[in-house]
Amino acid sequence: MLQVTELKKVFKSGDTKVLAVDDISFSVPDGQFASIIGRSGSGKSTLLSLLGALDKPTSGHIMVGDKDITKLRDHALISYRGSKIGFIFQSYNLVPNLTALENVMLPMEFAKVPKKKRQERAKKLLDQVGLKDDKQKRKPGRLSGGEQQRVAIARALANKPQLILADEPTGNLDSQTGKMIFDLLQDLSRTEHTTIITVTHDVSIAGKTDVVFKLQDGKLIKDK
Amino acid sequence: MNVLTRGMRNAFRNQIRTFSIIVILGLSMGLALAMLVAHQAVGQKINSVESSVGNTVSISPAGSRGFEGGGNPLTETQLAAVQKLAHVTSLDESLSDRLTTSDTNLQSAITAGSLGQRFAGNSGQTFTPPAGFSGRGYQGGSTTFTPPVTVVGTNDPTNLANTQGGGTFKLTSGQVFLPTSTENVAIVGSDLATKNNLKVGSTFTAYSTTITVVGIFDAGNTFSNNQVIVPLATEQKLSAQPGDITSATVNVDSITNVDSVTTAVQKSLGSAADVTNGAQQAQTAIAPLKNIQTISLYSLLGAIAAGAVIIFLVMVMIVRERRKEIGVLKAIGASNLKIMTQFVTEAITLTVLGSIIGIGLGVVAGNPITRLLVNNSTSTATTAGRGGGGFRAFGGVRSGLANIHGVIGYSIIFYGLAAAIVIAIVGSSLASFFISKVRPAEVMRAE
Repeated sequence: MLQVTELKKVFKSGDTKVLAVDDISFSVPDGQFASIIGRSGSGKSTLLSLLGALDKPTSGHIMVGDKDITKLRDHALISYRGSKIGFIFQSYNLVPNLTALENVMLPMEFAKVPKKKRQERAKKLLDQVGLKDDKQKRKPGRLSGGEQQRVAIARALANKPQLILADEPTGNLDSQTGKMIFDLLQDLSRTEHTTIITVTHDVSIAGKTDVVFKLQDGKLIKDK
Repeated sequence: MNVLTRGMRNAFRNQIRTFSIIVILGLSMGLALAMLVAHQAVGQKINSVESSVGNTVSISPAGSRGFEGGGNPLTETQLAAVQKLAHVTSLDESLSDRLTTSDTNLQSAITAGSLGQRFAGNSGQTFTPPAGFSGRGYQGGSTTFTPPVTVVGTNDPTNLANTQGGGTFKLTSGQVFLPTSTENVAIVGSDLATKNNLKVGSTFTAYSTTITVVGIFDAGNTFSNNQVIVPLATEQKLSAQPGDITSATVNVDSITNVDSVTTAVQKSLGSAADVTNGAQQAQTAIAPLKNIQTISLYSLLGAIAAGAVIIFLVMVMIVRERRKEIGVLKAIGASNLKIMTQFVTEAITLTVLGSIIGIGLGVVAGNPITRLLVNNSTSTATTAGRGGGGFRAFGGVRSGLANIHGVIGYSIIFYGLAAAIVIAIVGSSLASFFISKVRPAEVMRAE
């Protein structure tokens, strides 16, 4: 269970304070596929950063299982991010001089998984997301956008995370490829029983998720 | 693939940039290495000069120089105290005399000429000048004057610095007697040997004593080649001057201690002796080398600093360029230490490759640069010093300064590589500091 309570994030911009996330509370049960929608600047990505422990909130609590991640120290946060959370980004963010296989192996290397095991798991995950053998040894520059996002999804799954956070995962893809990626994420949330929270502009995609949160000016104004 | 392999591979992400960085670093390292070679070679030369040239103190009886002046000879007892002074490595003693036709059957190999006649007149020996001679010093007397033969009794027979003629001792036949010998033996100058048909084993008479020739030497100058060198004890005995010394040379361990030893000798011998040294002239001779040593040291430090700045700026540029990637790595579980290690490895890879080029350049350019520095510096010093006259003994030092040859051994290559690694670590560690400042949320803001 992911439980967010009275979460606030204030940024300073010169002398003024910007309330990017304003007193948000919600919860997502394990294995659910949730989406966050809202206009640009509504605080979606900031909320996702806080949920992924990429940034620290000004106040409030984020409970993942029985652990309050806002109270973790830096070293514990690194370990938490590496083992409990998977990230998927709009522009994939693969390391350009590593092959698809090596990109998927990377989080496992940081989690100190032995080389042989991480090689086997990376290959299995790439097979699972539908990337063919010959493309697994290619660098990102020689893969299409959809293929790169598949690699990014495989990388997010590498350490069997409890929570996958996806920031506009279909934003750079055509509608057909976007639908395929969305279906893949939906399938994973069911088969792997992984909680997935995705930020999207696409209301039609959001409509297919189990839960939808709508943000406006940092406030949660509606949820399904 | 681990963090080290990834760091090394990252060094080649942008091949054109990598090539440029390696060339620039190579030039910097090459200059540093060439300066290190110059610094070491010049340092060795300075040490060599300081320990072998100008590190002597000359002692003469007060008021006496060679056969000029007057006063009383020094004694071995007085000089025994000098031998015990700090920084004195050895003491060469000699007792000189002039053999006239009444003392020896040897004939001088030098003809009197007008100088000899003038000097003979000045020194009080009697002679009658050739018809028409009326020069300064004429005192009247015999017309059969021939210059005397100088005999030197010494405990260091191969060191001609103790004789008036100087020069470099070269034994052309026979052998040299032992410094402590008391036998009636001699080594004779080559001109004197030729003039008197002397060979090893021949004998001649001096002080009414038969002396056997054990060796013949060539000093490279006419004056010294007209001398007879005998053991100090023999000369003291035959000339009836037991324990007397007319000239001594104190050898000091380093030129830097010459002044203090000179003072100590003066204090020890008091008014009985005139004490002089040639340290100042030697220091003047090696001054250009010291300038080069200073220049090469600053250039070395400058080149190393330039290398460190280059690698630092490169790494800052790379870190800024990969800010988003650093955020991603942090987001997927990489610690600051892992990311820093990756960047330091990348910096070391670039620096080591630059160093390989630098070592190549250093090997090729080290000696030419050293020679160029030495030649320019010594020629400038020589030109500047001409107006002030010269000091004969150090002319050879100046000409020898140009013969400096730096040796690029494993130690220099090791130091070069060690400096490169230090440059890489220092250069990339500050850049790595910026890595720790990159918050993983950066990656989300950039979306």
